[in-house]
Amino acid sequence: MEHNDELVLMKDITKVYGSQEVLKRVSFDLRRGEVHCLVGENGAGKSTLIKILSGAVTPEDGEIFINGQQASDLTPRSAMSLGISTVYQDAELVDSLTVADNVFLGDERLFRFPPIVNSRLQVSEARRIIDTLQMKLPADVFVEELSAAQKQELQIVKALYRNADIIIMDEPTSSLGQEETRALMKIVRSLKERGMGVIYISHHLEEIFEIGDRVTILKDGQHMGTHSISEVDMDLVIRKMVGRKASSFFSRKPVEIGETQVEIDGLTQTNVIEDVSFSVRAGEIFGIGGLVGSGRSELVNLIFGAEKPDRGTVYINGRRVKPKSPRRAIRAGMGLVTEDRKRLGILVGRDIVENMAVVHNEVFKGPLIDGKEEDRLTNKMVNELSIVASREDQTLEELSGGNQQKVIIGRWLLDDATLYIFDEPTKGVDIGAKEQIYDLLVELAERGKSIIMISSDMPELISMSDRIGIMREGHMVEIVEAKGIEEEELLRSFIGIDDSGGK
Amino acid sequence: MIREGNEEMKNSENSSDRGTRTLARRRLNLLKSTWFFLLAVLVGLSIFTNLMNPRFLTTSNLMNILDQIAVLGIVSAGMTLLIISGEIDISVGANIGLSSCVMAMMIRSGQNVFLAIMVGIGLAVLNSTLVGATSILFKAPSFITSLAFISVFTGTALAITRGAFQTIYGQFETIGVKRFWGILPLSFLISIIAYVVVHILLSYTKLGRRTYAIGSNPSAAHLSGISVNKAKLTNFMLSGACVGVAAMVLLSRIGAAQPSTGQGLELRAIGAVVIGGSPLMGGKGKIIGTVLGVLLMGVISNVLNMLRVNPYFQQVTFGALILGALAVSVLSMYKKRGYVRKTKDVKKGGN
Repeated sequence: MEHNDELVLMKDITKVYGSQEVLKRVSFDLRRGEVHCLVGENGAGKSTLIKILSGAVTPEDGEIFINGQQASDLTPRSAMSLGISTVYQDAELVDSLTVADNVFLGDERLFRFPPIVNSRLQVSEARRIIDTLQMKLPADVFVEELSAAQKQELQIVKALYRNADIIIMDEPTSSLGQEETRALMKIVRSLKERGMGVIYISHHLEEIFEIGDRVTILKDGQHMGTHSISEVDMDLVIRKMVGRKASSFFSRKPVEIGETQVEIDGLTQTNVIEDVSFSVRAGEIFGIGGLVGSGRSELVNLIFGAEKPDRGTVYINGRRVKPKSPRRAIRAGMGLVTEDRKRLGILVGRDIVENMAVVHNEVFKGPLIDGKEEDRLTNKMVNELSIVASREDQTLEELSGGNQQKVIIGRWLLDDATLYIFDEPTKGVDIGAKEQIYDLLVELAERGKSIIMISSDMPELISMSDRIGIMREGHMVEIVEAKGIEEEELLRSFIGIDDSGGK
Repeated sequence: MIREGNEEMKNSENSSDRGTRTLARRRLNLLKSTWFFLLAVLVGLSIFTNLMNPRFLTTSNLMNILDQIAVLGIVSAGMTLLIISGEIDISVGANIGLSSCVMAMMIRSGQNVFLAIMVGIGLAVLNSTLVGATSILFKAPSFITSLAFISVFTGTALAITRGAFQTIYGQFETIGVKRFWGILPLSFLISIIAYVVVHILLSYTKLGRRTYAIGSNPSAAHLSGISVNKAKLTNFMLSGACVGVAAMVLLSRIGAAQPSTGQGLELRAIGAVVIGGSPLMGGKGKIIGTVLGVLLMGVISNVLNMLRVNPYFQQVTFGALILGALAVSVLSMYKKRGYVRKTKDVKKGGN
């Protein structure tokens, strides 16, 4: 009976790495037509569990049933043929092919003779699938022109084309803006209505309460319970995840705010950023909010000199800084923690010390490297930021996301700056590391630094910022006091509903 | 490997109750490194050859090997810098041809030998800088610009020499022929100096850090305040200087130059660097690997002579050797990837 709508049953799954049990007799099931959410801090074992299901990792113990059939020795290939499809954060798509070509990749629709690809047929068939999901995804454009959200949609289309009925989504919204997240939720709901099962992993608990049917909580590889969403509230879920209260999440010490320290005057890069001016005072955290694509990162890149502005000046302590190169910006007292850690932050394959000391050595030291000083400073930061690492020569990619981020932040703390710019400082880091990063921001403010923080996380933006500058289509349309502002109100200004319907 | 992940987990548990922690120092695990493997191959090969031909392990033969690999070593030292920074210069052979021809012609025309050498080295630096500068200016891979410059350099050399052999009749033999205590070749000592200089640059200077950083992640390097282009150009100039010195040693040893002098050296130099464990993607590698790579090439060349293998097969052997080195580096990369994925499972279940 029950087996009819049971898509997946994982029983007593145990996974051991070395002497570490990363999953301890965890059971998990997925029914037809439901969204089963998987939550837990980083390192709780969520990814391992779904990697086992998708065949990438073999468990030491436990049984897996798919559609009632026992599936032993799953491989990525056999998992796919059993209807399991994973939507990854970093989409595995071919940029130089069209959307339709990607859908049919490896299974092209051909003309009978000569056997060449029938692009028109592919486009129309792809369009059909896209339409049934009510996506706004053009079928005939190249993938490189798509946004992150559209790429994710494309992966879902691909999964659907392959007749997958089990879809795994691992942090699907981490690079999406509010609007796009909403669109994704809609798609997930329609997948559900089609009788598919969705396993949904997210750090964003609001999403889980919005679309989930059941939630399974993992903590340190242990199953902390599976509940129907209607039975639990966010407080309970969070307590089970971390053992602390939700109220401790977003409370921030107030900091005395001093004189104006940083002034941005008329910064412009034609067609990207138009005439943005604002100022940040000592001890102030200036939040920048807006939808994805509104020009938030572009703005801070201009301030930092990573991009060259056409017009406009930055003043730090009244001194004029021409933002021409990051080097100049750093010398003038700026630091930038970028959003895309992997692409713009970490020195791949280099160790912790080199990653930590790169700015210090480059900008603030002579031509020779002082190895002892480097070691000392690195150890100091490792302690101050409680970075979890064991050896100096561990490469950065061996650390977890949160610890990588701390090393990157530490890079800018070795030398005093006046203005710290954080672009999505807590993206992809677990709750524990998140709190530490918040504490750090406040500490910097207490020391009289000026802070600019971009965040897509609304509660974070509202609770951390003193004021929030709202970006919309390259303009800073409004600067609001963060205190007492409602999430909804803020979102409305992001979208621009007040202005005669937006665009 | 997995053990390391666990160490970390333990550390994370302990970090809260321990006051201050000090990370374990960097250390070189020789046994695990490619270099140890290379060394083992070298030793094994030597023992084998000596069994076949006892003349192999004689002082004079070994010193001959060192003499023969000096030029390759000097060029490879400069190439190591370029490859670590993610660049490449395949025109070094042609560059040696041109600069050694210029040196030889100046000496033939009665110019001061020292002046001739300086002009030759300067020219080599200029040539290499051109390769780098055009690569930066046109935003083209240095592989392509250096490919173009092979023709430019060889063509120029042919034009100025009219294709003729430039003999210098034994003037300035010292550098190429001198042997200390009758055994240790001066040319080998010069190559050691080149290795040491590059080692110091890589390990103890800002330039070295820049080189690794831009090879590893140029965008991150730029945002960290490094001027990527300046660092690249500096490396090209340094590699050019190595090429110039190599041209000088070569000219002194042979006593003559022609446009085709140095031909094929670029491939052997790149091969030596790659065999030494510096991937062509850049961001990784050490000079010790290059030293061993050069040594291995020299020994193999000598061994093939000793075993009376048809000299044409030597070329084939070098090609096979480079392919073998690539295979090893690709295999270790896959292994590494698997390792990274596994530790991710342990530590960051959420991503």
